[in-house]
Amino acid sequence: MKAKWLGAALGCAVVAAGCGQGRAIFNVDVYSFVKGTGSDTVSYVVPPGVSGSAGAPAQQITLPGVGSSIVDSVRAFGTLDLRNATGSGTIGLDVYLAADAPGTNNPSAKAITVPIKTVSGTNTTPDTIRADLTTAFNSLFAGTQLWIRFVANGSADPGVTPLQGTAVLTSLQLTVIISDKFF
Amino acid sequence: MRIPFVSVGLLVLVGGGAGVAGAQGWATDARRIGLGGLGLDQGSLRRYNAAYRAVPGRAGQRGRPKLTIPIPLGLIQFFHDHPISHITKDPAFNTDSAGFNPVELLNTFLNPPLFLEVKQAPTPTNDVVLGIGKDSLRVDLGQTAKLVPEDQFGIGGSSRPLDPGVSIKGVRVGVMGWVHDEVGLQLGDKLLGFLRDSVPADTNTRYNVLGDAVLEAGFAPTVAYAGRIAGDNTTGLYIGGALHYYVGLAYARVSGDGGFTTGDSIFGGATPVKPDARALTQYSKFGNSFGHGVGADLGLAVVTGPIELGVGVNDIGATITWPDTRVDSALYRDSSFSKPVANHIETKTKLPVSYLVNLAYTVGKTTLGADVLNTGRGTTVHVGGEQRVGVIVLRGGVARDQRKRMEFGWGGGLRFGGLGLDVGFWTHTNSLSNQRGITMATSLSIY
Repeated sequence: MKAKWLGAALGCAVVAAGCGQGRAIFNVDVYSFVKGTGSDTVSYVVPPGVSGSAGAPAQQITLPGVGSSIVDSVRAFGTLDLRNATGSGTIGLDVYLAADAPGTNNPSAKAITVPIKTVSGTNTTPDTIRADLTTAFNSLFAGTQLWIRFVANGSADPGVTPLQGTAVLTSLQLTVIISDKFF
Repeated sequence: MRIPFVSVGLLVLVGGGAGVAGAQGWATDARRIGLGGLGLDQGSLRRYNAAYRAVPGRAGQRGRPKLTIPIPLGLIQFFHDHPISHITKDPAFNTDSAGFNPVELLNTFLNPPLFLEVKQAPTPTNDVVLGIGKDSLRVDLGQTAKLVPEDQFGIGGSSRPLDPGVSIKGVRVGVMGWVHDEVGLQLGDKLLGFLRDSVPADTNTRYNVLGDAVLEAGFAPTVAYAGRIAGDNTTGLYIGGALHYYVGLAYARVSGDGGFTTGDSIFGGATPVKPDARALTQYSKFGNSFGHGVGADLGLAVVTGPIELGVGVNDIGATITWPDTRVDSALYRDSSFSKPVANHIETKTKLPVSYLVNLAYTVGKTTLGADVLNTGRGTTVHVGGEQRVGVIVLRGGVARDQRKRMEFGWGGGLRFGGLGLDVGFWTHTNSLSNQRGITMATSLSIY
């Protein structure tokens, strides 16, 4: 059903107005789909002196679907807060994208790696997601849905206090550049 | 599905190109195109002014062509670019191809390539930006949004493809073929705002397009009179009239409303949009009972030396009554339904009244003219002139088209004995573009 947006909105838009050789740019507000679902927050607990990772449940993102159109490129921009509660160390965030929920568990589904940040004590450290996705993920954006999952990777400093806190997504937008063949 | 689609397209291009062009008020005569669409010769004036059958030829006019044949250079170019043997796999018509562009396809329909496009109206090329969220959808078409029509848009008009007859002392008896076609679309307010003004899509809202189409054809036994009621050959008042008894052979009308309704959430719900459509069709097939109606043409022309002034009105009161019509309704909502509403009922259609006001001034080998023409889908204004220099004729003109845009025409012709070759150029903006294209028309006339 969701694909009907293509025939309805995009069909009217493109046929009525026409975009010729111009591009279609989809600004997908990913955050609007994950906000409040629990998938926007990754809780982490890493014992001192070791590394570990934790993930949030996968969340479905609905897209209009662009049929056999060619996705030229996908760019991601977003922000997150690393709300550390105890301990010190480093935290990074990985973003996994796949056509279905189980697929987000595959290592090959890792689309974005946010550089690690140093955190310590009870502090909130803002971080930025900025990445150009490889072309391997382009085909995902031609469909009517994709699944996203966030994984936090932590490395706790040696000592007695575990590294504990949450990585909370506060915004994420994917900009999808598409050739104009909607039909 | 694609083969019928392509076949219909080819039919329009090859067989119906001139007809579609004519129905939309386009000329298929290079002389008229060179005049910016002005119908300066009395042959074309007769179409809309019944009095012109009696108006004598102008001084210096070198006869009226018995036959004008358009030379379809555009079709030659079209089939060179789109070989008919591979037409079903042609990227321009194949929806599976990356080269398929619906705008180009629509442009081809709106501008049947009967004549050569020496300058294509460029297709808008700006980016289209769509903002998508769980509960939001917004489309920004940029400059292209200006092309989204606010009013009803469509093509159509009435034409008289054949009009054979016999004249004796101003009285003419004949049988006229007639065709009336109209296709109109109107975006609903919500859809118009969404596309043109980039208004975000709203939940639980219907976005729709209204459509209406009519096609009817038949013949009309006609009795006409044209004659001079005052003056002489150089200064005279002419009147003309024709009474038609319209016989309708077939007719179909479709009125529809199609769209979609958003759900509680734009993208998040299980059923974000529900498409729906409903249509009412009325038709009387060929071979069924004939339609009947009576209508009239009236014309008046004044000639005073080098000046000609004419007023003509066609198809006055031309209402066709179809005594045996079937009415069906169709509905789509999750699945399609169709059911007969009524059968063997009487319905009526009305041919659009068309009118022409024309002025011509001839001095020496120069003829200047102007006209105002309305064929039922808006008024066009033409001003132009031609200058004869030996066997050569030079022409030029300007027009205000149905979209109220200025268009320009220029061209020329050669006349050798009974044969004339004419070429005309004119600009047009009836494509899905805000910029003008230029068409070159060529035609051969036999005098």
